[in-house]
Amino acid sequence: MPAPAQAGRAPGPPDGGWGWVVVFGAFVSIGFAYAFPKGLAIFFKEIQDFFGTSYSEIAWISSIMLATTYGAGPISSILVNRYGSRPVVMFGGLLCGVGMISAAFCTSILQLYICVGFITGFGLALNLQPSVIIIGKYFLKRRPIANGLAMAGSPVMLCTLAPLNQFLFDNFGWRGSFLILGAILLNCCVAGALFRPIGPGTALVKTQVNEEGKDALKGKTTEDGPMEKKTEEEEGKDCFEKVNQYLDFSLFKHRGFLIYLIGNVLMFLGFFAPIVFLAPYAKHTGIDEYSAAFLLSILAIVDMVARPATGMVANSRWVRPRIQYFFSFAIAFNGACHLLCPLASSYTGLLVYSSFFGLAFGMVCAMLFETLMDLVGAARFTSAVGLVTIAECCTILLGPPIGGILIDTFGDYKYMFIKCGAVMVLAGTFLFIMNYYNYRMLAKEEKERKTKEEHLKSVRTENEGKINWNKDSTQDGPELEPLRENGEGVKKEMNGTN
Amino acid sequence: MPAAFSGWCLGHLLLLLLLLCTSLSGGTLADAAMTTQDSSQAQVNFVTKTQVGHESSGPNASIQELKPGGKENLHSVPEHEIVLIGTSLEKKISLPSPTKVDLTCKLDDHSHLKNPQVTWKKGSETISHTSKTEKSWTIQVTVSDSSQLGSYTCILKAEKEISATFHLQVPKLEGKEKPVITYARDTAVMVCTAEYNPKAWTWYLANGTELVRVLRADKFQIKRPSPNVNRLEILKLTKEDNGVYWCEAIFELGSNQIKFELKVLSFGAPLKTFIAIVAEVAILFTTIVLYEVYSKRKEKGSKKECDQTKQLKSGDSTETQK
Repeated sequence: MPAPAQAGRAPGPPDGGWGWVVVFGAFVSIGFAYAFPKGLAIFFKEIQDFFGTSYSEIAWISSIMLATTYGAGPISSILVNRYGSRPVVMFGGLLCGVGMISAAFCTSILQLYICVGFITGFGLALNLQPSVIIIGKYFLKRRPIANGLAMAGSPVMLCTLAPLNQFLFDNFGWRGSFLILGAILLNCCVAGALFRPIGPGTALVKTQVNEEGKDALKGKTTEDGPMEKKTEEEEGKDCFEKVNQYLDFSLFKHRGFLIYLIGNVLMFLGFFAPIVFLAPYAKHTGIDEYSAAFLLSILAIVDMVARPATGMVANSRWVRPRIQYFFSFAIAFNGACHLLCPLASSYTGLLVYSSFFGLAFGMVCAMLFETLMDLVGAARFTSAVGLVTIAECCTILLGPPIGGILIDTFGDYKYMFIKCGAVMVLAGTFLFIMNYYNYRMLAKEEKERKTKEEHLKSVRTENEGKINWNKDSTQDGPELEPLRENGEGVKKEMNGTN
Repeated sequence: MPAAFSGWCLGHLLLLLLLLCTSLSGGTLADAAMTTQDSSQAQVNFVTKTQVGHESSGPNASIQELKPGGKENLHSVPEHEIVLIGTSLEKKISLPSPTKVDLTCKLDDHSHLKNPQVTWKKGSETISHTSKTEKSWTIQVTVSDSSQLGSYTCILKAEKEISATFHLQVPKLEGKEKPVITYARDTAVMVCTAEYNPKAWTWYLANGTELVRVLRADKFQIKRPSPNVNRLEILKLTKEDNGVYWCEAIFELGSNQIKFELKVLSFGAPLKTFIAIVAEVAILFTTIVLYEVYSKRKEKGSKKECDQTKQLKSGDSTETQK
């Protein structure tokens, strides 16, 4: 997309080269962030026996960790806006390591809450957001593939951590395992070291936001008008604007962002519950423990393959301009799987369900951040991801307990599946309709902008000298060229595959 | 804080769910015996009259274990029955206290066996039927002490010989099959759970071939968080505490034991692995940083050349201009 005449300006994302190394680092980092809390469940029975507590008190550890990882999103965004991805991820890795190492010496359950729940959870939050952010800085044309590959880290790490945790536990008990896991988490620092700062990505905030504002404006025409003016005016005048530098609250006026937020918050109500209850449901229908565990393995394996594959599909010429529709379809497909699950009563039926669920889960996860980047642009993505994760935090935590209540009240798992399926189909439909509306509004705004600029141009040629105008036109030319080509200006911009 | 409350909710609901699951999924024992269905013979079905809220779907319903501490209506005798088919079938029944039980062997409705002869035996001793119908044979066993525990078999003789066995036994104990791993100067905890509430608990330490009762109050603490759970805590662990421990639960009809193995490790064991991984992290980190510094120097070097050639060119052009 950057035309040769734009050589004087900041170059676009490299879309390759060191970018693939960054993808690997993000793979490791994201993998730990998502898979680590799930992998800890193996130790809970032993810890429960050791401290003589009830199961619910132990379950708090998981909940605190999850809540902190998602709730500390905005803090992570602020830090990335200020310091860039690399220092934040390295600090996050260090924090995780310290948290788990100190957890190995804990003498009460409260200390475990702090060490494992808060400290490690916070460290994982500092790992998750920057990894996703830096992919947006390194990739544009191939961003969906990069996102898909990086998000594949989660199932791969889970498949590795689960047997590893079991092995460590059998040989070293829970204290020794926590010590070793702390050392393993320090590898996140290594992943962070790979996140070389790039171009307009880091450095001082003021110049950065200025540059990115301009870049984003050229690259994506989804920015609001007011935002552009703000970046030009900011000299740290307003306190509100200063806050906005670190965490962009003006996103709440962004139509695409709001659509994404509402759709996702709704979706997460039904997203995780089926995974939590898949094994218990299998055992309930009379399947033995090992086969039930195998269902989850199938899910993870299909998930692993589905994520990069979805990334590649989403990057193709046909899907990329309409990626929001693809995302809505994936969510609705996920919901449909859950709705059909109660029909599967035999083991083969559950195997089929697990495979389709794995596929759908992978599709949604691979595109989770890609679609947000697509809507708000790489510049504001930093703040957007923080605000989205803290909003999702509540529904993520509520999803499984609500499912649990349904199961307890009715004594039957099918209502939980129906609820999850219905919620997700609803979310998918909502996103589909609203994004259709959004695309149309964007096309309209694009046309208006085009006509306005052409009008301005003609006014200028009348008023100013021709020589001055020639200089301006050579600068503006490449910018307006893609817009002039055809009425599909919007779609081409968002396409990024010129 | 919403997160903490959600955490509480999640925790409690997971607990409820776990309890529900453990109460619904009983089946262990003779699941393996319920294999293929022969078309010429009856279907296998395990049924316990004291089922609670479980939907059995078809022939492969899981067995319901009696819930611990469940209500026993003194006026009705607990019944256990096996429906016959296949070769040999078994069912284990745990009895915490003296009681009477009805054991029934029943033929499925689809069976075509004619004039079956059924005998009940315990060991070599034959027992006479208490009640009999065309397709079921029942005996009532009064268990008042441990001598009446054991295996009761019903043998059906017709075209084929089929037998099914009921094992009457003391309640089982649950512990930890894998060794308990702890560290020196730490505390070890062993939790022993019984199906029903025993009268008394004892812990033993295996010293060679002897079993020594665990007594020292400064070293061992025995706690009873609930009537059917017992905890042994061993304080100030040392390497000498390595070994085998036994948990014994004494019921009215006898006692049952379960083994625990304790391993005390020194802190060095995980420490070696820990240091190895930290070293790996440090090496990788340094390599990456050095590579970056090196590649930046290369860039700067080539950039300087570029700038110099540019200066030379502009110098030339200015000279020509002059």
